Amino acid sequence: MGNEKAGKKMGQKEKEGEADITFYHSDLVEVPTDGSPPFLKGYRCKSCGQLDFPKLSICPGCWGAEFEMVPLSRKGTLYAFAEVFLGQPGMTYPMTIGYVDLPENIRIFAQIEGKAEQFNCNDAVELTIGTIRTNRDGLPITSYKFKKAES
Amino acid sequence: MKLDRDVYIAGVGETRFGKHTSDFDVLGRQAALQAMRDAHIEKPGIVQTAYVGNVQNGIVTGQMVFKDLGMCGDLAIINVESACSAGGMAVYCAVKDVATGTADISIAVGTENHSLTRQAGTAFAGATGDIETMQGLVFTGKYAMRANRYMFETGATPEDLAMVTVKNRRQATHNPHAWFKGNISIEEVLASRMVASPLTLQQCCGISDGAGAVVVCSREMTKNLGIQKPVKVSGAVVFSGPYHNRPRDLTGDDITEMAARRLYEESGIGPEDVNIIELHDAFTIAEILYYECLGLCRKGEGIKFLRDGESTYGGKCVVSPRGGMLSYGHPVGASGAAQIASCVKQLRGECAGYQVEPVPAVAMTHVTGGGMSGTEHAACTMHMLTKAWQA
Repeated sequence: MGNEKAGKKMGQKEKEGEADITFYHSDLVEVPTDGSPPFLKGYRCKSCGQLDFPKLSICPGCWGAEFEMVPLSRKGTLYAFAEVFLGQPGMTYPMTIGYVDLPENIRIFAQIEGKAEQFNCNDAVELTIGTIRTNRDGLPITSYKFKKAES
Repeated sequence: MKLDRDVYIAGVGETRFGKHTSDFDVLGRQAALQAMRDAHIEKPGIVQTAYVGNVQNGIVTGQMVFKDLGMCGDLAIINVESACSAGGMAVYCAVKDVATGTADISIAVGTENHSLTRQAGTAFAGATGDIETMQGLVFTGKYAMRANRYMFETGATPEDLAMVTVKNRRQATHNPHAWFKGNISIEEVLASRMVASPLTLQQCCGISDGAGAVVVCSREMTKNLGIQKPVKVSGAVVFSGPYHNRPRDLTGDDITEMAARRLYEESGIGPEDVNIIELHDAFTIAEILYYECLGLCRKGEGIKFLRDGESTYGGKCVVSPRGGMLSYGHPVGASGAAQIASCVKQLRGECAGYQVEPVPAVAMTHVTGGGMSGTEHAACTMHMLTKAWQA
């Protein structure tokens, strides 16, 4: 995973023989190459100031079309979660999923690393990066996830 | 919607629900024929417009349903899709045609062969290509999160949730259209395999096939057709899911609350006056949340409402008298129309073996549809139906 892979969309293949680690979308998450921790990318509307994730094509508040990228907090609160035993093709089950509320008043849906039994509603969680699913060619897709926050 | 003139339901039809080897068009035709015969229509050329709700069976589904009935030609057939709300929305469109005078008589069909089109071992996601779908969300998971949060906030238990399946299956016992029915214990519900914790298999609607159909018309047309027991459409609303990616209360449902408020205003009928409801009980937790969202009880008191028997025979409001989606299964595009068909039969007193007594005078239907990131559901369709004849 890394920045050089960012910008590729699901389904795009590397050249033959090259390891493929496909990133879901570069507008969503930044994995700095200097080793500093990854962060989700929020977008603040330059005309009305509304902050959104994910990036929208136009601001739903004022229809402004210019945004500035704002790194979102890496830690949040697990509002709700569940362990899912059956789901979409290309994913591994059982899987823990959850809604994470960030201090910026934004809610993120994501996969949660770890068994569901170790979580409670309102637990502190933090951002991590990992494989979320495979694409139609069976190749892994890398994106954001959350895990129990290190205290 | 504002109803510029009165709209009545003249006829309804529904197939048996369950796994069918017949495709959606056959099922849709069965329900449509039943509904038209029920409305004393015995030949093509009477119905003026048609709306067909379907989700997964491809393109030109409505024309596929009506071509063998000799109805294609000057019949304007419009195909309607909004995931689980499609069938309800088709009825809404037919009602609108009659209310505005675009047509004097219109038919709505909801039909789906779900089992022939789903890959075994996969679950249904709320929207194609949506970010939450990409990250792994399926409906079972979303409702499981709602359930966990509801239990966290209210202290409700898995046993409490399981009671919804027990109630709805019991209510469906003698309903020939229902699939899963009869006695099942709380223990059996909880012992079935886990689908998305805390929801076990018996707390999730089955992947089933079926169809429902509804003929709506003007007052004059009910007279021309000789309809003895016309049911009045006292309100019809469609809402789209308000979008925002801020935290929201998953133990509520913004779109259902908005739609219900509007329906109560427009019909002049409040929750205390509604005798029966078919709602979107795709999962046990959903029925409990909707007791609260629809105003049948106060917020946080859904379990008490259920435990006190207020949502079954003899209670304040019989919820899912046909057995709901937990008994019929949920062929997504069909359910909304089938709910209305079943409610009409209840109002007419035609549900031998599962008839609500005293025969209800007011019925309400509620069906949500899909779900994108930043919404609870993509759509919500509700109808208020009232008895429009003197006994």
